[in-house]
Amino acid sequence: MNSLRNNLIILGLVVVLLGAAAYLIFLRQPVSEATQLGLDLEGGVRVQMEGFREDGGEVTTEEMERAIEVIRDRVDSLGVTEPEIRQQGADQALVDIPGLTDTEQAVEVIGRTAQLYFYEVVTIDQEQAAGPEEAEEVREELREDLRGDSDFEEGETQILFGEQRDPGIEGILVTGYIVSEEPDMTGEALNNAILTRDETGRLGVQMDLTNQGGQQFLDLSREISQNALASGQPDSGQLAIVLDEEVVSAPVVSQPISGGQVIIENRSNPQGLPQDEAEELEVVLQTGALPVNMEILSTQTIGPTLGADSLRSGLTAAAVGFGLVLLFLLFIYRALGVVAALALGIYAVLLWGLVVAIPVTMTLPGIAGIVLSIGVVVDANIVIFERVKEEVRKGKTPRTAVRLGYEKGFRAILDGNATTLITAFILFALASAQVRGFAVLLALGVGLSMLTAVVVTRALLGVVASRNFQLSPAMMGVSKKSIASAQREVK
Amino acid sequence: MIARIQNIDFVGKWKTWFTFSGIFLAVGLVTIALGNLNFGLDFQGGSQFTATNAQNQISEGELREALPPDIRQDAQIQSLGQNGFDVRTPVVSEGEASDIRDAMSGALEAEISATSISPSFGEQIRNDALGAVAASLLVIILFITLRYEFIFALAAMAALTHDIVVTVGIYAIVGREVSLVTVVAVLTILGYSVYDTIIVFDRIRENTPEVGYNRRRFNEMVNQSIRQVVRRSIYTTISTLIPVTALLIFGVSTLADFAFALLVGIAAGAYSSIFIASPVLALLKTWQSKRAKAAEERERTSETAS
Repeated sequence: MNSLRNNLIILGLVVVLLGAAAYLIFLRQPVSEATQLGLDLEGGVRVQMEGFREDGGEVTTEEMERAIEVIRDRVDSLGVTEPEIRQQGADQALVDIPGLTDTEQAVEVIGRTAQLYFYEVVTIDQEQAAGPEEAEEVREELREDLRGDSDFEEGETQILFGEQRDPGIEGILVTGYIVSEEPDMTGEALNNAILTRDETGRLGVQMDLTNQGGQQFLDLSREISQNALASGQPDSGQLAIVLDEEVVSAPVVSQPISGGQVIIENRSNPQGLPQDEAEELEVVLQTGALPVNMEILSTQTIGPTLGADSLRSGLTAAAVGFGLVLLFLLFIYRALGVVAALALGIYAVLLWGLVVAIPVTMTLPGIAGIVLSIGVVVDANIVIFERVKEEVRKGKTPRTAVRLGYEKGFRAILDGNATTLITAFILFALASAQVRGFAVLLALGVGLSMLTAVVVTRALLGVVASRNFQLSPAMMGVSKKSIASAQREVK
Repeated sequence: MIARIQNIDFVGKWKTWFTFSGIFLAVGLVTIALGNLNFGLDFQGGSQFTATNAQNQISEGELREALPPDIRQDAQIQSLGQNGFDVRTPVVSEGEASDIRDAMSGALEAEISATSISPSFGEQIRNDALGAVAASLLVIILFITLRYEFIFALAAMAALTHDIVVTVGIYAIVGREVSLVTVVAVLTILGYSVYDTIIVFDRIRENTPEVGYNRRRFNEMVNQSIRQVVRRSIYTTISTLIPVTALLIFGVSTLADFAFALLVGIAAGAYSSIFIASPVLALLKTWQSKRAKAAEERERTSETAS
């Protein structure tokens, strides 16, 4: 009777676990909100990026961590709900933004290095280009010309470019600037950046400098205006504001400027900066520069209805598969099948409970992992039941057969599940984020299956096969003929 | 049906099974060698735009006309049922991608989903995936050697290689796209196939008598072990393939891709654990004992010579 009591204790524990799972799934929140859905089921934008250095050096984990902090700030400023930003390996970042549908905006905002520099302009040269492709050629021409200029000195100075699209004239005005190699000021002098409109309504981004930055800017503007004066051409000194190697603005500085405010704007356009560009600029300036540059590895946009379709199809497949497997078990194992089906049901509820409790984000590959784990769970039962049936054929009583079946079958199941777990771990460690959900759910499923398919069914069968209830061979799907033939073989 | 399978001489007829698999593998390998494997976006890089729930019914040609002129030429357009389209292009910039999306959603009045992968990242995914497969094989060899014997690991490896080549071969023959999901499926197949094989090996280990090796007795014992587990193999395969088939029928995109690879791989795995792994084990055992005997023989002759 002792074993019966143990079995009842195990079943009692299972009932408690089921209750906990049911609470987590159905009662703690509406059931539709219980499971955390991944991007591929919910819709949204995913961007995968890799940090790199201009000079080809290694990107350290720490730099990447800092970069991810900046990216987090920027994503938050987009005003989206529950973005997820993760570091992958030493130098990769994965950004998931649910609910967003515009990858272009996301990439502009989160992938931009936003390295801000201020330079005194030494010399400029300008030329018209007909379109974006011609602008590249014009840049090369300007670069050649400026390299020949007496103000250019290799190592001391560098050449930067800026482009202006002037609605008044067709095409693009490309300007080449010779500036010193080292910036006179950097983005560290920046305190804040906000959208602003000047007196004619042009949109621009106003940068507020820190106290120290304001002082630096005063010194720099004084130097520029005095240098211009000294060269005999007053009001010709220019300041280049450079963002990510591109001159975004080069205002003329005719006198020292105090107050610590600088505005980036586009004077040639009556509206100033385009609205979206200005907003992006505001965000990247506010959040500061990334410590490393980012290369976009992949982008993905999933529409909400596509996500919902995927979810529906995945759930349908899982439900149909689950139902048919239950029928199959009942068909081949009769009474044993009822036990296995019950265990499979318990497994399903507990797995869902675990997914909600941990919480595991459910993705399409995750659903595939769950569907596959149904096979693993059922298999453990099949291995054991075949053993039990074998023992019954040999003439053992159902009770002894059940005990022997579990003892002998367990080793094979343990070995087999170990290999499945090994592959799941390797998948998790080596493969990219998209398939991790699969590995996690497969591993969870296999682990849980050891509990439900071995421990729970054993306890159930132990209770069923106890003295109060006689389990006949036929109820286990063992025919009289097969018993006879098995016993002939033994003789 | 199962009783008839149980009467097969699994080990003795190894030449039949090997020829059958050999023909299959050869066709698969030749097709792969001819470059018929269709590598998808994940491995090559590029962009893919998927339109779903289109309100406007337009033809493929009309959609092509609607695309921006500079990518019209290179775009591959595929119709997805009644109200969906799939457009693939080489890698485009974010701005161009945005233009394509706008063009498509304008022409079709559909919801557009897009994926874009840079070629260098595709290469990285491919290397990671191959690394994962190689690492799995290694760990599995180690595990089986530890729990059983090295020749068991070799026999299991033969079965695994069989399953992988069959699966990849079918992909080449059918021309289905190979994606990251396919690789994940292959890895899963590895785990599954080893599981199947281990169930057989576990029986063989259990049934192996303490007394020394005898070819006829060992082979008969392997046959006997398979007979004992073949019912389990068939049932498990059925009960795994049921949900996988449901996934293939009801699942969209990723799920269907995954299910297809699993369907082929699991079927191959069930076959190979019985018809490949076990005969190979029996043959290896014979070879091993012959070598041991020959070594003993040599030792004896060298002893008598001295």
